[in-house]
Amino acid sequence: MKRIVALLLAIVPALAVAEPSSNIAWTPELLEFVGNGDAENGQQLAQTCAGCHGDKGVSPMEGYPSLAGQLATYTYKQLRDYADGKRSHMLMNSIAQGLSEKDSADIAAWFATLPPAKGQRSKEPLKKAEVLVTRGNGKKIIPSCFVCHGSNGQGEKQDIPALSGQQPGYFINTLNEYKTGVRHNDIYSRMRLIAQQLSEEDIKQLAQYYYQMRR
Amino acid sequence: MNNVIERKLALSHMSVAFTAFILACFLGEYQVFERSGLIESLGSPTVYFASVSTHGVLMAYVLTTFFIMGFGYYTAATSLETPVWKPELAWTGFGLSLFGVLLAALPLLSGKASVLYTFYPPVQAHHFFYLGATLLIVGSWVWCAIMVVMFYQWKKANPEQPVPLAMFATTANALLWLWTSAGVALEAVFLLIPWSLGWTDTVDPGLARTLFAWTLHPIVYFWLIPAYTAYYVFVPKQAGSYLFSDEVARAAIIVLVVFSLPIGFHHLYMDPEQAKGWKILHGIGTFIVTLPTFVTGFTVIASLEIAGRLRGGKGMFGWIGSLPWNNTMVLAVILSLLMLIFGGFGGIVNASYAMNAMVHNTAWVPGHFHLIFAGTSVIMYFAIAYYLWPILSKKPLFSNNLALLQLWTWFIGMTILTTPWHVLGLLGQPRRISSVVYNNLLTLSWKPYELAMIAGGLIMLSSACLFVYLLYKTQFAKSEETYAAEVEYAEPLHAVKSLPEYLNDFKLWNKVIAIYMAVSFGIPILQFFFLDTFDSSAWSY
Amino acid sequence: MHIDPLESKWIQTALGICGLFVGLILIDAFFHNIHTPSNVETIDSASLHLSEEFAEDNLGVHRDENGNIIVRMVAGRYSFFPKEISVPAETKLTFRWVSIDVLHGVHIPMTNMSTMVVPGFVAELETTFPKPGDYPVLCNEYCGLGHDHMWSKINVVERDQWHATQQPSSGAIDNE
Repeated sequence: MKRIVALLLAIVPALAVAEPSSNIAWTPELLEFVGNGDAENGQQLAQTCAGCHGDKGVSPMEGYPSLAGQLATYTYKQLRDYADGKRSHMLMNSIAQGLSEKDSADIAAWFATLPPAKGQRSKEPLKKAEVLVTRGNGKKIIPSCFVCHGSNGQGEKQDIPALSGQQPGYFINTLNEYKTGVRHNDIYSRMRLIAQQLSEEDIKQLAQYYYQMRR
Repeated sequence: MNNVIERKLALSHMSVAFTAFILACFLGEYQVFERSGLIESLGSPTVYFASVSTHGVLMAYVLTTFFIMGFGYYTAATSLETPVWKPELAWTGFGLSLFGVLLAALPLLSGKASVLYTFYPPVQAHHFFYLGATLLIVGSWVWCAIMVVMFYQWKKANPEQPVPLAMFATTANALLWLWTSAGVALEAVFLLIPWSLGWTDTVDPGLARTLFAWTLHPIVYFWLIPAYTAYYVFVPKQAGSYLFSDEVARAAIIVLVVFSLPIGFHHLYMDPEQAKGWKILHGIGTFIVTLPTFVTGFTVIASLEIAGRLRGGKGMFGWIGSLPWNNTMVLAVILSLLMLIFGGFGGIVNASYAMNAMVHNTAWVPGHFHLIFAGTSVIMYFAIAYYLWPILSKKPLFSNNLALLQLWTWFIGMTILTTPWHVLGLLGQPRRISSVVYNNLLTLSWKPYELAMIAGGLIMLSSACLFVYLLYKTQFAKSEETYAAEVEYAEPLHAVKSLPEYLNDFKLWNKVIAIYMAVSFGIPILQFFFLDTFDSSAWSY
Repeated sequence: MHIDPLESKWIQTALGICGLFVGLILIDAFFHNIHTPSNVETIDSASLHLSEEFAEDNLGVHRDENGNIIVRMVAGRYSFFPKEISVPAETKLTFRWVSIDVLHGVHIPMTNMSTMVVPGFVAELETTFPKPGDYPVLCNEYCGLGHDHMWSKINVVERDQWHATQQPSSGAIDNE
């Protein structure tokens, strides 16, 4: 089933070329709106999220992302992109459509306040990931990951996601989806262009590298 | 005259200046190493850009401002033969500037202000950086005020007398700095500080760049005027000669001050936010400001020629050989003029409106300004230090021969550093990159030049260390011998009997500058309040 | 006031040199129309992808109804978009550059295709590439820690060859 959905979604961008990849634009007004999100109200609203994303925003399941300590702007944008159909997920589209813009900002604010997940270390070799994160790859035109995602994986303005402690399964899926174009809500294909250059092994190592990174 | 307070002021300011200088030299050498990729483990853009920002701030703001203030206090007191006006105020200015430097150092060294010394909003640094830089400038305004007050007090006490040339040039520089620094101060106070403190959400990058351009060009003349002052008031005497023309020197300084101010847009030639008419206007002004440099070169060389001939030099060029090459001031001025010729040539390319497109923001540009600043200007700072330090500390210079060696190595190192830098620019290398990662054939040709730059940098670093070592050994010498010499200012070949008031005062010129600035910057700044502009939110880096 | 005759000759010479340089620049500017990028055109950099002109599928090389070739490019940390473009040699090209985030600069080495890309403004310039070849497109203004990696490619092809490859798909290119 999942494969079929993925396949169907892969065709969608080809059909909808004229559409922007996201309706979210980080104008000063929107930044202020999201910055003023009410974390307390967000906590109430986020109770339904706990099943998949954990009650403290740390996901108990491989395939679902941890949201604790995530940039509010990033979480907000994803919720709106789900609501607008710019990003697709069996459950998230309908959930996000049920949230107002204010709700989305509140939930995003709540998750931003939570301490980020702390992943387990592994003995796997991570040399490739380390090189990609700290130096990038000039031959393939891949900038170092840290220049956007922060030297501790903390994310950066305006909506570059924090990656430290992220669930590796979700991490791998996401990069693969960027690589194939299934996920396409990065404006001007910024992440898709990078993901296309990454090998399976690169992605696997990066997932573990960021999983065990602490900020 | 004993000048205890003035000597202490000068020594304190210059010590801060040269401490900043030596730290920045180490950073500079690290940068050429890092960029060459020779030692892979050095490769870190985080460290590199923190280093570039710190190097720029230390050299362009700290070395210069402190040196100029210290030199100015001493020049004022000795040329006017009167004590510094309100020394406690001078110390307040010193304290403010030093506090500003330390405040800015915190974020700079911890990588929280890697926005380069040119700021570049909308990338945002920690607010301590902007506050510190502003305090440094505010402290320097105290110096400006003291210079202006001393200038007019002297004029009042000596009506109809020509103000000594050294003081005339120093006051001109103080006024230039007041006019110049207003641009960056406006940018910091109204745009950057409130924005970095979170009081405002956005900043207008076009307006910020325009205000910075106001400061960015004349600031180099603020750095250069002390060098020109030494050319005029120290060099002829040290060479055993007379200043060729006192009046023309004053005229050159006035033209320098008036025309260097309204020409900052040659830094914005490639910017979309200013219209071409304004750029051309500033471009023409840029060429006019080469005039005082042409004139200065002539006057200094003419003074040297007289010296050479007085010392028995014959023939068309024979006088050059008979100059006192073992005098640090004379050697420095010769090397300084040589670097000015090459640096000036590069500058004319940059200034040439459309031709600038070929070299804009390439490695050519740092090549150019290192020649003019670290070459032409700073080598004169060295010579001034060698000349004044023994007088200020009352101890003889540790070694004249080592000082000569230091000047030569600085010149040689600078040549080896900047020649490949210019070539790299012509080969398209952008400035401000920490490594070469482009996967392109063109970039292979950059390698040997980058390696040559390491060698040039190493020679310069050794030279800088030798310079600081010589001052240290002079200052802390155990010798009982007291060095009793006084500062000697050069006499003009033709004594100045009477001067028209416009060559002996700045009141008229301030009015001219005000009008010229209003014409050059009025509409370009006001346009941001009429245009439908879109401001930027803050970005990290 | 005393001015030596030799000095006064030198001042006149220096004035002459300055005049010559300024004259040449002005002739180039006003008679050969060689100017800097200076169109003072504002744009909301935060929502470029929602604008009509810089929408994601409207970037790159286009021919307008008069046959002029317009190249629309977006600079954003840390790349230029589209990442690779193809343009004809010996043809007047109009580049329009915008930034989605911070200050960038763009230069194609060995050519005069150079401009700052300031957020909030469209940088427009006209140029002609005389020689075919693959050129790098480099960011030449510090824009953040990934600045070194910010570059893309431009392929300048023979004029006829370019037009030949463009014809079949020209319908798709022109329907703006």
